[in-house]
Amino acid sequence: MTGLRLFISSAVFAVAIATAYWSIAHEIVGTFLLAFMAFALTFVAGYMIVAEREADLAGDLTDARVADAAGELVGTYSTRSPLPLWTALAITCVGLGLVVSPAVAALGVIAVLVLGAFFIVQSR
Amino acid sequence: MSAAERGALEPVQRNDLLGWLTTTDHKRIGILYLTTSLGYFLVAGALAIVIRTQLARPDNTVVGAHAFAQLFTLHGTAMIFLFVAPFALGLANFLIPLQIGAPDMAFPRLNATSYWLFLFGGLVIFAGAASSEGAAATGWTAYAPLSVLKEGTGLGQDLWIVGVFLVSVATILTSINFVTTVFIYRAPGMTMWRIPVFTWEMVATSLLIFMAFPALAADLLLLFVDRNLGGHAFDPNAGGSALLWQHLFWFFGHPEVYVMILPYFGVISEIIPVFSRKPIFGYSGLVLSAFAIAGLSMGVWAHHMFTTGAVNNPFFSFVSFLIAVPTGVKFFNWIATMWRGSISFATPMLFSIGFLLNFLLGGVTGVMVASPPIDFQAQDSYFVVAHMHYVLGGGSLFAIFAALFFWWPKMFGVKLGEGLGKLCFWLLFVGFNVTFFPMHFMGLDGMPRRVFTYANLGQLPLLNLIATAGSYVMLAGVIAFAANVIVSTRKREPVGPDPWGANSLEWWTSSPPPEHNFHSLPPIRSERPVFDAKHPDVAARTPR
Amino acid sequence: MARAYPGSSPPKTGYEPGVHGQTWPATATAQASVLASDWVLFTIVGLAVVVLVWGLILFAVTRWRRRDGGGDEFPPQFRTNNPLEIAWTVAPLILVCALFAYTYRAEADVENLAPHPDVTIHVQGYMWGWRFGYAGGTTLEGSALAPPEMVIPLGETTRIELTSSDVNHAFWVPDFLFKRDAIPGRATAFDLRPSKLGTFAGRCAEFCGLNHALMSFSVRVVPPEDYARWRGRNAR
Repeated sequence: MTGLRLFISSAVFAVAIATAYWSIAHEIVGTFLLAFMAFALTFVAGYMIVAEREADLAGDLTDARVADAAGELVGTYSTRSPLPLWTALAITCVGLGLVVSPAVAALGVIAVLVLGAFFIVQSR
Repeated sequence: MSAAERGALEPVQRNDLLGWLTTTDHKRIGILYLTTSLGYFLVAGALAIVIRTQLARPDNTVVGAHAFAQLFTLHGTAMIFLFVAPFALGLANFLIPLQIGAPDMAFPRLNATSYWLFLFGGLVIFAGAASSEGAAATGWTAYAPLSVLKEGTGLGQDLWIVGVFLVSVATILTSINFVTTVFIYRAPGMTMWRIPVFTWEMVATSLLIFMAFPALAADLLLLFVDRNLGGHAFDPNAGGSALLWQHLFWFFGHPEVYVMILPYFGVISEIIPVFSRKPIFGYSGLVLSAFAIAGLSMGVWAHHMFTTGAVNNPFFSFVSFLIAVPTGVKFFNWIATMWRGSISFATPMLFSIGFLLNFLLGGVTGVMVASPPIDFQAQDSYFVVAHMHYVLGGGSLFAIFAALFFWWPKMFGVKLGEGLGKLCFWLLFVGFNVTFFPMHFMGLDGMPRRVFTYANLGQLPLLNLIATAGSYVMLAGVIAFAANVIVSTRKREPVGPDPWGANSLEWWTSSPPPEHNFHSLPPIRSERPVFDAKHPDVAARTPR
Repeated sequence: MARAYPGSSPPKTGYEPGVHGQTWPATATAQASVLASDWVLFTIVGLAVVVLVWGLILFAVTRWRRRDGGGDEFPPQFRTNNPLEIAWTVAPLILVCALFAYTYRAEADVENLAPHPDVTIHVQGYMWGWRFGYAGGTTLEGSALAPPEMVIPLGETTRIELTSSDVNHAFWVPDFLFKRDAIPGRATAFDLRPSKLGTFAGRCAEFCGLNHALMSFSVRVVPPEDYARWRGRNAR
């Protein structure tokens, strides 16, 4: 709940400051940025309202005991994966390629797609 | 995922190079972040020493104008994008799951990807130095239209754009990871109002990152298009705007200042209670002030543009002044935490007190330059250089050293030496103030920033010489730290889980913590569960 | 060897002894006197805050330092004090509101444009030099190797209309406590009313490339009758 309140109040603040800024400064770039920020925060808050209905977190209970979580599956954690390093390298190739040579960029794009597929397959 | 890749079935991590290259363990990623950012710090610091050497005397010829421009560009870029901000991300990577009693971050592989992107982004930025036209040379702020010009800013500037873009993408991904982890993965009983202040500050920081960094990414894209694909976003002769860069850049850039300071407010809030043997004073005040600072910092960007004559100065001035209020709340809370305490001066505490003393000066000059009449003189002068270094050097850097000394035993199982540690503190504290205090007067005397030479006028040569001497003292302090690392690693005197008598959950588990962090957890009934478990009688007498 | 003021003796700046009296900060225009009052106010308030807070910190760490063998007793474990916390939120709020009120008026005074300036100069910054175009008169120009000198009359209002022909620059005369950015595609204006005779150093404050550090100029303030004579000599 605290997390949701955080996003809602941030969104309200963003709307307020965007309005204040426009009415005082009449300047378009900043107003657009602030309004966009308000939109993004509202979007996250909206998503959280939907998601929170299903969430039931032991972390939110003031008198929860640690044993309450025993045996609960919080998810699987791989401690190792070769994918991140390769993915980062591929993304870097895309960026470098844009500056140095289109061939490198194309190679990078292909690599990102292939690695992305690996990510999806592994997550199943 | 194959069974062999599920961490739970593979309890022992490989300790060889491949193990580190493929790790997705938040503690290792944290340590990778910390070592990488410290590496960039050493490079950026070395550049600063060359800068100060060039400026030791007027008309000096250690380096030429073009080399000097590359030096201050790389110094600023590396310190901001590759050291102060990512160091906090590394620390948070290591600490957040431990502090909230979680086995890892919410998205471990995304986390590792962010780290590698950050490393490669930094290397791309520095790679420009190897090109024929040299590295980027338009300052870390890369103001358009100067940065759009192809002559004088060649391949290096394009590599700078790509590198900073990669780092900013990595930062956004990490911030999403942090927020998700804190919201979802808290241990039973670890309600939001019991998470340690450092973790709270990182939530505020993450929020800032994903509000501010997209503006930077957009700005960089526009610059790239203008430079390479015939765009005219920043070209006033073709309907563009030379001010657009500044609006977008500072819409990111000022929140970025708080991205580089809020985590370190968190560090100080963790350390002061431990060495005062008291709970943190005004927990909710500290948390709320972090969000007040984060929120207000979104509305102050154009206080970097007071001298353009093109923005509403009073609006930005007033919102900037308001930030002094939550910052003041934090200061008073820290002092109240020490008040009537039992204060010991281990190295982390010394650095924390150094932080308080230095940052206060940076905060006060910050309020000064938020007043347009003062900024008309101070903007782009050494006064601003002094202010900014008091915040980021005297503030963040001191908190970084405090954090290193404080959490080193948790990360590596050995304490750093106290003798060399105190030497390091005093060298840095004295060196820092000798370097940067005179810069206030240089600015008032009329020395602009980013100049490779200055006139032999008035007090400028003397002030500059003092500043340069101070920077060498700081260098000695950094060497003392390196020596400390070597000596303490050689000694190998293992420490227990909780060498300081500290508060939050990371001190419950072994040093260094096992894979997936905890074999057991104490009951969590306040923001200092480890203290509560060890001193139940004191905890029972303490108000919640 | 790179020289900041090649080929000419450097103009004096505010902190040269003998140029100004004992004012702080040094001022050479009527506008600068207003700006200086803001400097003085903020410096006094800032120093007061620094002394107070440093005092509290140093008092706390000395008075309650842990003595050798301090024992296992814990000090009082208090966490909050609502009246105190409200006080140290509200007091700074009042302080910054007051500071803002002063700042607002000072800035309005300084940026106020006279309806009929006595002299108007179109200033254009370029990489790496300055053009000073006197309305209805001569144009002075100089770059890094031979910086130009602007001549303006004492006690009269000079309007500077500022722009740039390439990248961002900034027109800064430290003794006037004032600078303004020169931005391509934008014109901006401000007034100067010199209050002291002398030659004042000016420089570019916004990084603008290789020779940014050498992009200097100077402003010579002369009595109005000398100015009239100078204008006559330099008529178009």
